[in-house]
Amino acid sequence: MAPSRTKTIKNKHAANGSGIRGSIKSKNGPQSDGVLKSKKNPNPRVQTTNVKGRPKIAELLKKKKQRVYSAKELGIQDLNMVTPIGVVKPKGKKKGKVFVDDRESMTTILAIVEAQKNGQIESKMIKARQMEEIREARRLEAEAKDAERKEKFDETKDSMRNKRKRYVKPEESDHVDVKDFVASGTNAVMAKKKRVSFA
Amino acid sequence: MRPLTEEETKVVFDKLASYTSDLKSLIAPLDDGDRFVFRLNHARVYYVRLSIANIATSVSRDALLSLGTCLGKLTKTGKFRLHITALPILAEHARYKIWVKENGAQPFLYGSNVVKAHVGRWSEDCPEHSGVVVFNMADIPLGFGVTSRSSAEARRLDPTGIVCFRQADCGEYLRDEDTLFAG
Repeated sequence: MAPSRTKTIKNKHAANGSGIRGSIKSKNGPQSDGVLKSKKNPNPRVQTTNVKGRPKIAELLKKKKQRVYSAKELGIQDLNMVTPIGVVKPKGKKKGKVFVDDRESMTTILAIVEAQKNGQIESKMIKARQMEEIREARRLEAEAKDAERKEKFDETKDSMRNKRKRYVKPEESDHVDVKDFVASGTNAVMAKKKRVSFA
Repeated sequence: MRPLTEEETKVVFDKLASYTSDLKSLIAPLDDGDRFVFRLNHARVYYVRLSIANIATSVSRDALLSLGTCLGKLTKTGKFRLHITALPILAEHARYKIWVKENGAQPFLYGSNVVKAHVGRWSEDCPEHSGVVVFNMADIPLGFGVTSRSSAEARRLDPTGIVCFRQADCGEYLRDEDTLFAG
C-alpha cells in the first residue's frame, strides 16, 4: 500500500466558500477539509479480473448463498404464534362482521334453515315409524310365541290328567267289585283285611 | 344495538324453526310498508319493527334496556336460548302442541315437566326431542318444552312418565323477574 500523503494549507475556512478560482476547493472538490488523501480505487480486483468464459466472482458469491428452508419443508412442528395455528385469516376479505339486514338475504337463510329442519323432522318421523313397525312385529311374534307355549302347556296338562284317569288304584276307587258282594252273600259286610295286634 | 350477522341469524332461525312451522310470516312485510327485523343488544335478540329500531338508534347501547319482543339470548359459545318472552310468537305458528289438563297447569307453571297423566291431548305424529308449545285446555299458551318421546311411544307410557321436558313457562315472569330483561 502506498503511504498517504498529507498536505496542510493556510486558512482552510476561507478556501471552502471563497469562490476564488485558484483556491483549493475549486481544485479538489467539496470533501477537502485540509487533509488530502491519495485516491484509491475501492475495488480494483473486480475491474481487473474479467476474463471471458469464466463466471464473475460476484455471481459466484451470490450463488453460494445458502438456501433457507421453511419449517414446513423440514417437517418441524408449528410453534404457537400470536394467532393460533390453524386459524388462517382470509386475505382480501372485509374486516369485521357482515350484517344481515335486508329481506332477501334473510329469506335465503330462512329457506335454507327451514329446509334443513324439515328434513331432520322428516327423517326422525320415518325412523320413528320404522321403529314402531319393528316393535309391532316383535310384539306380535312374542304374542304368538306366548300363545303357542300356553297351548303346549295346556296340552301337557290335559295329557297328565288323562294319564291319571287311566291309572286307578283298586283301594281308592269308588267302584266296588261285584264279586265280593257275591262271595259274601246276603251279608253285605265288606271283607276285612287281616290285622295283627299286640296286646 | 346492531343487526345480526349471518351466523347469528342462522342460529336464531334454527331454534325458532324447531318450534314454529311458518317462519316466513315472521319477516313478511306489513300492510303499512314496515317490516319486523332482528336486533342484538347486550347478547339479547329482539324482534322489533324496523321503524322502531331506527328510532331506538338515538338511545345509547347502555341506556337501552329493551325494545320490541325479546326472543332470547345468544350465549358466548354461539348458541341461542329462547326466553319465555318469545312465547306469543312461538304459540302463533306452533309446529307441535300439547294441551295440559287443569290439574297439570299449576305444576307446569311452577317449573315441572309435563307428565302423561296431565296431558289432555297432543299433536299427532310428533317425533321425540322436538319443540312443543304447551297450552291449557282453554288454548292459552303456558310455555314451551321438548318432547321426551314420540306420540306413539308416549301412548304406551305409564301415567307418571314424563312426556315433555320444560324449557320455559309463564311462571318465569315471577321467578326470574330480576334477570329476565337485564343481567
